Amino acid sequence: MQDTGKNIIIAGVGGQGILLFSNLLSKYYMKLGYELKISDVIGLGQRGGGVESHFRYSTKPVLSPFIKAGDVDFLLSFEQTETLRYLHCMKEDGVIFSSTFELSTSSVNTRLEKDMPESKTELIKKSGKKTFIIDPEENKSPDFDISKMMNIVMLAFYAEFRGYSHDEMIQIVKDSVPEKFVAGNLKAYEKGISIARAQLAEK
Amino acid sequence: MKTEYKTTTMKMMNGNEAVARGAFEAGVKVASGFPGTPSTEVMDYTQQRYPDIYCEWSTNEKVGLEVAIGASFAGYRSFAVMKTVGLHVAADALGGAAGSQINGGLVLVVGDDVGRIAGDDYNDVRHYGNMFNIPVLEPADSQEAKDLMVKAFEISEEYTTPVILKITSVICKTTSGVAIDENQTYEAKCRVKYPVSFSKVIMTTMMMNAKGSEHPKLTKCFNDFPAHMKRLAADCNDFDINRLELNGKKIGVITAGTPYFYTKEVLPDASILKVGMVMPLPEKLIRELAAHVEKLYVIEDGHDIMEKNIKDLGIQVIGKELFPKFPEMTRFIPDVIEEKLVPDAPKRAILEGIPFRLPVSCAGCSHLFITQVLKKHKIKAAADVTCGLIGCFPHMEAYSLQKCMGSSIALAHGYNVATDHKENFVAMIGDGGFWATGINGLMNLIFNDSRSTTIIVDNSCLAMTGGQHIASSDFGFNYKPENKLEITKVCEAIGVKDIVTVDAYEYENLEKAILNAVNADTNSVVIVKKPCVTKFKLPKETPYSIDQVLCTQCRKCINIGCLAIESKKGKDGKVEIVINEDLCVGCGLCSTACKFDAIKS
Repeated sequence: MQDTGKNIIIAGVGGQGILLFSNLLSKYYMKLGYELKISDVIGLGQRGGGVESHFRYSTKPVLSPFIKAGDVDFLLSFEQTETLRYLHCMKEDGVIFSSTFELSTSSVNTRLEKDMPESKTELIKKSGKKTFIIDPEENKSPDFDISKMMNIVMLAFYAEFRGYSHDEMIQIVKDSVPEKFVAGNLKAYEKGISIARAQLAEK
Repeated sequence: MKTEYKTTTMKMMNGNEAVARGAFEAGVKVASGFPGTPSTEVMDYTQQRYPDIYCEWSTNEKVGLEVAIGASFAGYRSFAVMKTVGLHVAADALGGAAGSQINGGLVLVVGDDVGRIAGDDYNDVRHYGNMFNIPVLEPADSQEAKDLMVKAFEISEEYTTPVILKITSVICKTTSGVAIDENQTYEAKCRVKYPVSFSKVIMTTMMMNAKGSEHPKLTKCFNDFPAHMKRLAADCNDFDINRLELNGKKIGVITAGTPYFYTKEVLPDASILKVGMVMPLPEKLIRELAAHVEKLYVIEDGHDIMEKNIKDLGIQVIGKELFPKFPEMTRFIPDVIEEKLVPDAPKRAILEGIPFRLPVSCAGCSHLFITQVLKKHKIKAAADVTCGLIGCFPHMEAYSLQKCMGSSIALAHGYNVATDHKENFVAMIGDGGFWATGINGLMNLIFNDSRSTTIIVDNSCLAMTGGQHIASSDFGFNYKPENKLEITKVCEAIGVKDIVTVDAYEYENLEKAILNAVNADTNSVVIVKKPCVTKFKLPKETPYSIDQVLCTQCRKCINIGCLAIESKKGKDGKVEIVINEDLCVGCGLCSTACKFDAIKS
């Protein structure tokens, strides 16, 4: 194995399928024989609270369940306010994958605090890291509900970026999600590949 | 001879799942307890995976622990699961069991919310170890969570004591590999050693008054619990769950739980004593490490309990003077150790000005309808521990008093007797809180001839912890329709004069019912019915939307506190109040709040 392991943070808000995402990814890395530690930090509140998953795979036993700031290789974020919370955690050559989806915060909604004046997408782009931005609005499709399946779109994007086998990943998706969602998820996966290919060709 | 097929495989499990597996391997017969984040799923996994184990969610933690104690006296291994806040409720039961004769192993699985990840304040279950002089085990990963669960039962029986297995929000929610034998079969373990088991009150009476007596009627009541604990304290120096890793001489660290791994990662050259049992501590091993290193630190989650216990042994250690405790530090992470103990560690700071997220109710939650009525009519009220406590936060401002689970009815009663019933201070309580301990508050106010209005939110489950069943649910581990308790009937039987039941979504009826109850000159209960939207996945109605021409941005709708209503900057930079159609369930509450007819289906 050339890749001895990586540290990944998966972030977003409750209800975006972050736990499913880390579950699917863990199955892929287990098949490759890696040791894993996945820590899901779910915040206070029912729906819409911040969720972060620390995902570590390695050829050696993984020690800390939390990734130290500065040690993150990949940040996969489904909500852009949440993306901002982890910019300082990235390695120098870390890579960011971020959706432009935004769930406004209750504190801004009720004017307990002001929203950031700058565009959050621009702040992410200006972080100095290699960044891929995925806009769910631009990629809406009648074949699947991108608001619910961004996790699968992101999984495909990540798999394409890392050069992983899509066949194996698709098989894991098929084996893991309920029958009635398989068709939609496969469409979402295809979409993810095509977005990734277009963006990678640009860079 | 029986052929043994031992096939060890690695399974990915989170801490809760691993504890359940440990219960299976230990041959547990009875599991009881009360839901509480982060440890709720210990019960869920036990019930789903291991049908041989009798499982119940009890009415509250105290009842849960008492059930386990009874099962243990019958000779069967049993455990009770709860969060530390719940153990406060069950503490009397634990005090009764501590130091008493134990037949079948008795283990308390208790979840500590280190880091307030689930929103608790910083409780630390290990205080109970000190207070009641009982052992506390703390795993560092899923493998240990399983192994220590088994070990806990062995210690419980060998040293005749209840044992606490402390798990944390990090352990519970971290998934890692666990080696298990797939062919292992279930065997309930049973051991009856003592004919009686009494609380320490009875035993200490015997110890003080009947010293030297050999009469079996006296000696059977006597359990020399101090001797058992002394023996455990001596033996634990040789337990393999307490591990001394002698390495460099500069830094020594005594640690337990996940902080062990943070330490290993940040300080690979340090000498470490990793304790699997944090109470009592292995004194010999601590002294050995202290003699080996120049500087000795304690790195522990939660309060400074190991630190104090080590200092009590006369050993100098550095702990909270370097690592401040809650609320200065919300959780131990590797970064904190690096910052304090690694010279020239790079400083990394989070970007400034990122807006924070206060908790918000799910779209369509019945609690939003109630807070809307209370706010509209400026009715003063106490909230309970329920999803409805979100109404206490500053973006909602619906309640002025809130304490612990089941408290609101008694809180309101206290307020009302102190103010001579001049203002009817209302209690809002969830159905879970009502059955847990709130029902006592209601009985109390009736026979003390008080009056109060109580709003009971009947959403058919314990919503906040993920929808576990309660006494009035239509489902459950041991559910039978004929055994379901009716909130209305119980309130009637207790003697409440005025009881009304309303559907939360019938806003006008709800408003009328609450106002009638508040204005009445008697005690009253308003039962607000609506199944939890999240647990029961209620069918969605057509989503509502805001007409931007009619909207004056008065924000009446946003102040409801619904997750689906957002204040958003459009692409042109202008702020709009919008309804997120993916989240909206079409309950229509916001349309009743809008004075400008801007919100329509």
